[in-house]
Amino acid sequence: MSGKNKKIKFIVGIGIIITAVVALALSGFKKDYAYFKTVTEVYTMGSRAYDHPLKVKGDLVKGTVVKKGSELNFQIIESGQTMDVHYIGTDPIPDTFNNDMEAEVVVSGRLAADNVFKAERIQAKCASKYEADYSGNTQASL
Amino acid sequence: MSEFGHILLTFLFPLTLFTAVTAFLAGRNHRESMYQAARNGTYAIWIVTTLAILALEALMLQGDFSNAFVYGNTNRALPGFYKIVALWAGHDGSLLFWTWIITSFSALVVYQNRNKNRELMPYVILTMIGTTVFFTALNLFIANPFDTWMQNINGVMTPVAAADGRGLNPLLQHPAMIIHPPILYIGYVGTVVPFAFAIAALLTGRLGSSWIKITRRWALVSWGFLSVGILLGGKWAYVELGWGGYWAWDPVENASLLPWLTSTAYVHSVMIQERKGMLKVWNMSLVIGTYLLAIFGTFLTRSGIVSSVHAFAESGIGPAFAAFIVFAIITSIGLIFWRRKELSSEEHFESLVSRESGFMFNNLLFVLATIAVLWGTLFPVISEAFTGEQITVGPPWFNTIMIPIGLALLLLTGVGPLLAWRRTSIESLRKSFGYPFIASVVVLLGMFFFGIRDGWALGSFTISFFVLWIIVAEFLQGARIRSKNAQENILTAMAMLTMKNTRRYGGYIIHIAVVVIFMGFTGAAFNTETRQEVATGGSFNFAGYTFMCIEKGHSTNDNFRTDFVDLQLFKDGRKVDDLRPAKRMYFASKQPTTEVAIYSTLREDIYVVTVGESEDGKMAILQIYRNPLVMWVWLGSLILIVGTILVLIPNYREKKRKPAAQQTHARHEVHA
Repeated sequence: MSGKNKKIKFIVGIGIIITAVVALALSGFKKDYAYFKTVTEVYTMGSRAYDHPLKVKGDLVKGTVVKKGSELNFQIIESGQTMDVHYIGTDPIPDTFNNDMEAEVVVSGRLAADNVFKAERIQAKCASKYEADYSGNTQASL
Repeated sequence: MSEFGHILLTFLFPLTLFTAVTAFLAGRNHRESMYQAARNGTYAIWIVTTLAILALEALMLQGDFSNAFVYGNTNRALPGFYKIVALWAGHDGSLLFWTWIITSFSALVVYQNRNKNRELMPYVILTMIGTTVFFTALNLFIANPFDTWMQNINGVMTPVAAADGRGLNPLLQHPAMIIHPPILYIGYVGTVVPFAFAIAALLTGRLGSSWIKITRRWALVSWGFLSVGILLGGKWAYVELGWGGYWAWDPVENASLLPWLTSTAYVHSVMIQERKGMLKVWNMSLVIGTYLLAIFGTFLTRSGIVSSVHAFAESGIGPAFAAFIVFAIITSIGLIFWRRKELSSEEHFESLVSRESGFMFNNLLFVLATIAVLWGTLFPVISEAFTGEQITVGPPWFNTIMIPIGLALLLLTGVGPLLAWRRTSIESLRKSFGYPFIASVVVLLGMFFFGIRDGWALGSFTISFFVLWIIVAEFLQGARIRSKNAQENILTAMAMLTMKNTRRYGGYIIHIAVVVIFMGFTGAAFNTETRQEVATGGSFNFAGYTFMCIEKGHSTNDNFRTDFVDLQLFKDGRKVDDLRPAKRMYFASKQPTTEVAIYSTLREDIYVVTVGESEDGKMAILQIYRNPLVMWVWLGSLILIVGTILVLIPNYREKKRKPAAQQTHARHEVHA
């Protein structure tokens, strides 16, 4: 086997693998992507907001959590704008979800035509709260 | 004590700078006195950092809530043990802990090489202590765990001595979480040692394989700790987070996976360089990449650049890390470019079907996997930079790419080690792979016949079987020859075989572990779940089990209140386990947590979570997952640890009979 021939074989082999992985990445992207937005940003998206999967970040509004069995409705707020969220997922609801907690929430799903967000997943970040809170208030003592 | 800590850190920073400078001068001018100073500096740094850690631990054990870190991460009712480990639960403390590990490794490396590698060592010290300078600066200026707890009172920042702290994040109050961070950190920091030797090799021009041989054990130790750290993280997520899974492609999880991927590529490709003097630039790049990804992982965990459930801390250390990483990239690329001529290969690839090519494809896949995970993790940041909008990809995206890559790598696990160096003939391929291939096809058809239709699962199980057959055959074949020659029984022969070539057979055991872990992963294709409401005395069936609810009740201790459901689990009319899924409410942090109950067998896990209660409070709502084969993941992890330890121990040498005279002579020497 000549040297040139060998090189071509290697390049073809490597090329096939790289092409395959890129193809997988692209096809995976069609299946699974979401725009990551805050509540206000969703409202500035206009009609596009209804067309794409979204992940929306906001703070849980105290007192709006209504649990009925495994059903869940609540509101999130960011820069004064609120959004109604209806949870339609099957995963257990995060522990931080109750009316006493201050929690930052990320909901994943789609915005329905009636402007209620149908969430398939809820992530609640509350641990960051008390870390950020205290480090923001400290100063060096020396 | 806080003041003492401050003084230590304030002293530590100039000390690291001084040591780095002396190390540089020692390397440049070959001055013995400078080298001595750098070595002593390294030891001194370790002592000071150790004192700082002890000071912080003392503060936490005393419950000195005038300290901000102690206030933020502990409370009075916290068990003493958790007070100690709270060191790495909080952000500032864990960075100090990172610093302590790297200074410990630096001191260890200096001691190990006290009479060796005189040329390389000054630059090794320079690189390691240079990294320490950065972390010390973070500890001192940005994330200082000795800061006083201040509150804004009428617009003035006033020190406050709180009566009690806010407590340790309840999610972290779990055994796996106690050992997971240190193990992962040791893995991360371990990558610094090969990196330091690589940089030293580049700076001194001693680019042979000696730096690789010196750091081989370090690279493997770091790899082992990363592997175990990642798996423990999965275990923690599984038992603590309560969503029924162990891996979610969360940015912080990805951060630990990234250096593991490149480090795995490296421990394979390094064999080609040792044997054939090829791929020098490539190996150099993998070592450097692994180090950068380890730093990046720490950065990702600690900066909150990508929003994540457990990127707890969003602090100002982002820009500092970014600057450090950019500096390290530019320096490394510059050095490689400068030495590019000395780094050229001594030999070339000869055949597409050879051991070298096997390693090459292994590396290609690992690096593509690294790029994919990095790309997916940073996609929100990348898309924002280009389109102004953050776009995220989730677990389905990662799975689409990583499952095929994973299976291809799994296949190489079996095929690669049997390929001959240079080129492999068709004849030997048929000899090595003929039977296992036929048997695997039979297994594939059998699984299909028994109703398994998931394509990936069929592929994964078939490849697992194929690889397992090949490895077991390797062991048996070697043992059979040995038992014939040495008159040993087959088990002794197998043990001796392994001990005499730990690198090869330990490697096979790690490969077996990988197969077992993959079987566990594949079980996820058959997960099922249900949601049930049940009251005291009630029962229901799921997945062939009967669940009897004995009591729905609650209890209280100093630390938390528990709402539990006592269940009895029956299979085929026989009681197999008591389960107590619960929710806890921690008083200090006012945080609730889910306490999962798991009935675990080789076949499947029954995983029970309480998700709430009915409006009248009488019925508990339970979410139940049936997760097949999860135990295989943990079982594989244990095998992996055994394999890694085997690879690390030196080969056993059999004593050869020496002439009597020589033996007496040897004995005299020992006595003298």
